[in-house]
Amino acid sequence: MRRVVGLASLLVLAVSAARADVPIEQLGRTENLTAPPNPHWVWVADVLLRRSALLDLDRGAFLGMVSTGYLAPTASFSRSRSEFYWPETYYSRGSRGSRTDVVTFYDTLSLSPTGEVVIPPKRAINVLPSGNAALTDDDRFLAVFNMTPATSLSIVDVGRRAFVGEIATPGCSLVFAAGTRRFLVLCADGSLLTVTLDDAGREASKVRAAAFFDWRSDPVTEKAVRYGDRWLFVSFEGIVHPVDVSGDAPRIEATWSLLDADDRSASWKIGGYQHLAVHQASGRFYSLMHQGGADTHKEPGSELWVYDLATRKRIQRLELRHPGFSLLSQDFEFGRSWVWPFDRLYDWMLDFVVPNPGVSQIQVTQDDEPLLVTGSQFSGSVAVYEARSLRFLRRVPSGNLTVHSLQAPWGGRGRAP
Amino acid sequence: MYRIDRWFTQSARWLARRTSRRSFLTRVGTLLVGGAALPLLPVARASSPSRAPAPGEPDPSTPEGDPANCNYWRHCAVDGFLSSCCGGTQSSCPPGTEMSLITWLGTCRNPADGKDYVISYNDCCGKDVCGRCFCQRQEGDRPVYVSPKSNDINWCMGTVGVVYNSTVAVVVGVATES
Repeated sequence: MRRVVGLASLLVLAVSAARADVPIEQLGRTENLTAPPNPHWVWVADVLLRRSALLDLDRGAFLGMVSTGYLAPTASFSRSRSEFYWPETYYSRGSRGSRTDVVTFYDTLSLSPTGEVVIPPKRAINVLPSGNAALTDDDRFLAVFNMTPATSLSIVDVGRRAFVGEIATPGCSLVFAAGTRRFLVLCADGSLLTVTLDDAGREASKVRAAAFFDWRSDPVTEKAVRYGDRWLFVSFEGIVHPVDVSGDAPRIEATWSLLDADDRSASWKIGGYQHLAVHQASGRFYSLMHQGGADTHKEPGSELWVYDLATRKRIQRLELRHPGFSLLSQDFEFGRSWVWPFDRLYDWMLDFVVPNPGVSQIQVTQDDEPLLVTGSQFSGSVAVYEARSLRFLRRVPSGNLTVHSLQAPWGGRGRAP
Repeated sequence: MYRIDRWFTQSARWLARRTSRRSFLTRVGTLLVGGAALPLLPVARASSPSRAPAPGEPDPSTPEGDPANCNYWRHCAVDGFLSSCCGGTQSSCPPGTEMSLITWLGTCRNPADGKDYVISYNDCCGKDVCGRCFCQRQEGDRPVYVSPKSNDINWCMGTVGVVYNSTVAVVVGVATES
């Protein structure tokens, strides 16, 4: 009898072990990102939803997001501290009431705001992916571009988390970092204003140089990219204007063209809202291109052209695929696990059936296995390619309604603006 | 009757067990994608009432004469949601919004008289985006540092609030050669 009871107990134990309860879990837990931030983590901003989503391009995963207030598509990322800075605008009654502009400090791993500095309520409100704020190369001062439409810069000491003051930049707009205490500002006559700060962040000097392009015949776009100590401005007609900022005064270098005679006769043009990207370590320069007439400088790109900045020659050319289709933030990708060739049905539908909205934004990650990411202002999805071979890898849904800027701030040897 | 009820109940439960909201949306989306690929029939156009052209304006039944159309002649440098589709007109803002006083200017040719007109693209402000009739044309658009000719700027600055709703296209003069 004792033996029977013992066997029965063992059986009960075995059954309970096989059907173990789900462990009791703790309430109130919140995830943090793991350190260090991965170079393949990319910020995808949506000004309609007033947010930016952080995506892992390798896993195709949504990692988190920040809410960024009214029309604030880009952040500035510190290289020396685990934080980033978002110039934001808020109204006391949502879309109306009293306006407050702040620079919000976010922790890189928790994505939580850790503080803010109130700045004058003059921040320039536009959809540009660059030029609205810049961090000095030593991560000490942040300059925020103001437009009321009088133009100026608000200077924030991010180390002390304090507003320093405002520097007027009459006739000149936007802001680009150019050293530890210098900023470049682009003027309406095609010249550059160099603003130098003292160690307290106050104006030390303002020097305006001669015009380096003709804004009437062939203006440069605002979407310049930084390559080491150079800023590369590109004009509507595809002329690259390199500006070396390593010295006290910016040095204008010889221009070169993205287009040859054949390209021009075939009406190839630069275009898009974030139409340039550069991989610092390899010196590869990526440009969105389309065929169009005059004043099509914001048309989405149908092709991606890649240049070697050492030789200034085009080395690759890629017909871009559909960046992905989303509707009301819902991504419609299906059939990835279906058997061949049906697993390609969705790609085929996107590429050949659904009208391709074109690519408005590109960005490249700054690691040694770089990825190229493309987005469209008419979709929340982004497409991912290997940046060297240009092999298409995958599409990643962001939950956005639109894409307004792409930022890949981490893991590079140089700065990715 | 009871059998039909039971059959529907069981079918609905079977479907609910095997499908999720997400897969439903995916299929709806697939249908939408397919639908988008179909050519649009000219039903709406055929049924729209005929109107007489306003003074100096092109025929309103053509895209160049329809203020709710992106190809309307005044929209040559517009970038935004058309006020005409949002409760306003081509020269007035939707109810409850406020028209910006500073703005960007374009020069557009009126096909009705062949003249070039200076068009003021004022933004309508104080409510969130209208979301209808997004129109993006860039004729004469210049970068933000040439601000009076830039359509990337939110021109609601200077009004009660910078929140952008839509854009009008107001004729402010006949363009002359400078």
